[in-house]
Amino acid sequence: MALTDLVVPQAVVPSLRVNSKKQALQELATRAAAICGRSEREVLEVLMQRERLGSTGIGSGIAIPHGKLAKLERLFGVFARLERPIDFDALDGQPVDLLFLLLAPEAAGADHLKALARIARLLRDPEIAQKLRESRDAEALYAVLMSGSGEM
Amino acid sequence: MAALDTVSLTIMFAALLLLAGILSSLVALRFGAPLLLVFLLVGILAGESGPGGIKFDDVRTTYLVGAVALALILFDGGLRTRLATFRSAFAPAAVLATIGVLLTAALTALVVRFLLGFDWIESLLVGAMVASTDAAAVFLLIHARGLRLRPRVGATLEIESATNDPFAIFLTVALVEMAMAVNEPWYTALEELAVQAVGGAVIGFVGGRVIVAALNRLELPQGLHAPLVTTAALVVFGAAQVLHASGFLAVYLAGLIVGNRPTRAHSGVIAFLDATTWLAQIVMFVLLGLLAWPTRLAEHSLPALEVAAALMFFARPLVVFLCLAPFRFSWREKVFVSWVGLRGAVGIFLASIPLLVGMRDALVFFDIGFVVVLVSLLVQGWTVALAARRLHIALPRSLPAPRRIELDLPGQLEHELVGYAIGPKNPYLRRRLIPTWAKLTLVVRDGRVLAAAEADEIREGDYAYFLAPPEKARALDRFFVDMPPPAAPDVRLLGDFFVSADVTLGTLGEIYGLAIAPEERAVTLADFFAAHLDHKAKVGDRLPLGTIELVVDGVAKGRVTTVGLYLAEAAEPTAPESLLAQVRLFAARAFARLRGGGPERRAK
Repeated sequence: MALTDLVVPQAVVPSLRVNSKKQALQELATRAAAICGRSEREVLEVLMQRERLGSTGIGSGIAIPHGKLAKLERLFGVFARLERPIDFDALDGQPVDLLFLLLAPEAAGADHLKALARIARLLRDPEIAQKLRESRDAEALYAVLMSGSGEM
Repeated sequence: MAALDTVSLTIMFAALLLLAGILSSLVALRFGAPLLLVFLLVGILAGESGPGGIKFDDVRTTYLVGAVALALILFDGGLRTRLATFRSAFAPAAVLATIGVLLTAALTALVVRFLLGFDWIESLLVGAMVASTDAAAVFLLIHARGLRLRPRVGATLEIESATNDPFAIFLTVALVEMAMAVNEPWYTALEELAVQAVGGAVIGFVGGRVIVAALNRLELPQGLHAPLVTTAALVVFGAAQVLHASGFLAVYLAGLIVGNRPTRAHSGVIAFLDATTWLAQIVMFVLLGLLAWPTRLAEHSLPALEVAAALMFFARPLVVFLCLAPFRFSWREKVFVSWVGLRGAVGIFLASIPLLVGMRDALVFFDIGFVVVLVSLLVQGWTVALAARRLHIALPRSLPAPRRIELDLPGQLEHELVGYAIGPKNPYLRRRLIPTWAKLTLVVRDGRVLAAAEADEIREGDYAYFLAPPEKARALDRFFVDMPPPAAPDVRLLGDFFVSADVTLGTLGEIYGLAIAPEERAVTLADFFAAHLDHKAKVGDRLPLGTIELVVDGVAKGRVTTVGLYLAEAAEPTAPESLLAQVRLFAARAFARLRGGGPERRAK
């Protein structure tokens, strides 16, 4: 499965303005809700459920909030670059400025895990992260995300 | 007056030489060359065959300075080793430091005997001289390169290097005596070894306790705590040596005890010893370089190179694999431990013993020892970081020296006062971000001290002080120090995502779609590790769970606190530590497939 199936160009937010982790999750949930056609509350709920186990801030300024929703038709992704990094309780304590939200259908199983691993390893690539931080607009960000996904 | 002039000249030249050594570290950092090697080269250049032309052949002074420097380096090493790490690595390190040294000496001797045609005792002497790994070199390379090894690997190397000197010294001295035909019954040698080891351990233990008591009880003027500890360490070393016990072992143990007990002025002592150790290393290596005669070294360089090659590629790897076979190390880690068998000052120091006692052909031994150390520092020292990366055993994030001010608070272990200078490029000015667990306490602005409320916003040019839990002080650096982005972490080591170990298997299974047996749903990850590992959990331990792997990420008091989730797909198969774990993983995967997880794609 390619990353192109996960993220549509409209799901890339070039410069999100938020002040806290909670606000960031809320904003992401709003955008995801609009794309996947589910309520914002539902989305936020599953994200918070996962954050309670431990932050999805995986270090180096990257966070990948994720969760499962019943009866979702497919995997949905939203990518956002924050205008200013925020504290995300990340494991390394570093402020986060790149966020990738992934929602999966209840039955996705292996696909969900594969997609998560792929996204995590893609964003962990320092070159990709650097390019994402340097890109100005949504098209450029989208292009970087897609260019990197082929190598995985 | 002429005599005074000579003294002044000596002082000036010695200081200049030291200065050259210190400045040469800039060169070393730029080219990534091993620092110790650069110091050695400065000494060689200043010496009689180099442009410096200084005549120096005082083996006794070198021995004295070398011993003091080594003692300080070992004490510092002990001071920085956590007791828990020490315990976890003690057994493998002890085997390496005793049987390992003996085997290394014997195997090297074998090569020397047949390649160079020395007699048996001489061959063994060469073997013994180069058999011990050097604490200074190992400590410096592991710490200065910012290599974060799995604690057990790093500690094994460090403890080995700190404790194998007594054994190598003993072997060398015994063999020199034999070569000089000093007739003593064989059992006196064993007796000596026992006194060395046991005496060293006892004196080190008692000495460490006494230093801790003195530090906490004596009302010394501010600033004298660190010198007290340092000189006391040298007293421990000297006392042990006088009593024919191993001063090196004693001083390392004393350091270990001082470093692991709550003491006053801990950060002051650490900072002072850090400086002292640097100085000691520079002095020792510059002096050793001075002592060498490069023009003559060339004569013996070919046989010496053969010895070095035999040691690095034959004796050391074989010994490491043999000695570590009973312990849980992956083959990658064993290869790394083999490669980081760095030789250093101890080798040269031991090589000077034949000179010191006036043995026949002593220079040959000295030259061989010297070249072996040189080659080891050059070849192995230069490639340590590379080897760690290639073998995938270095943990990510090399921490550069933190640019923060730490203050111990009296009677306070939960909080530390941490301060940062807010320069024009401080990341805080860009992000305006303070983590919730750190509390702004004081701001020093234009020489005035302001309380947090008075200061309003932190501005450029301020000094900001925060109260933070000591274990998180490092994380605070991220907010106030401009740091280069960390290297990409190796997911194979850490996992893709992280969760607290209080999470139950059921919850995790629900979120990640893992098949969990009903009776295991309520089990927490911490308990899962406790039940399924046949040893105490350590960072990096892994267990399969359904289609993913759990990797221990944090441990406190023997219990797992945080767990990495390694979503195994899309990467090359991992090499679990033991055969058993491999079988378990295979079984788990096969089982998951049977349950309808679908065929596993090993896509690259």
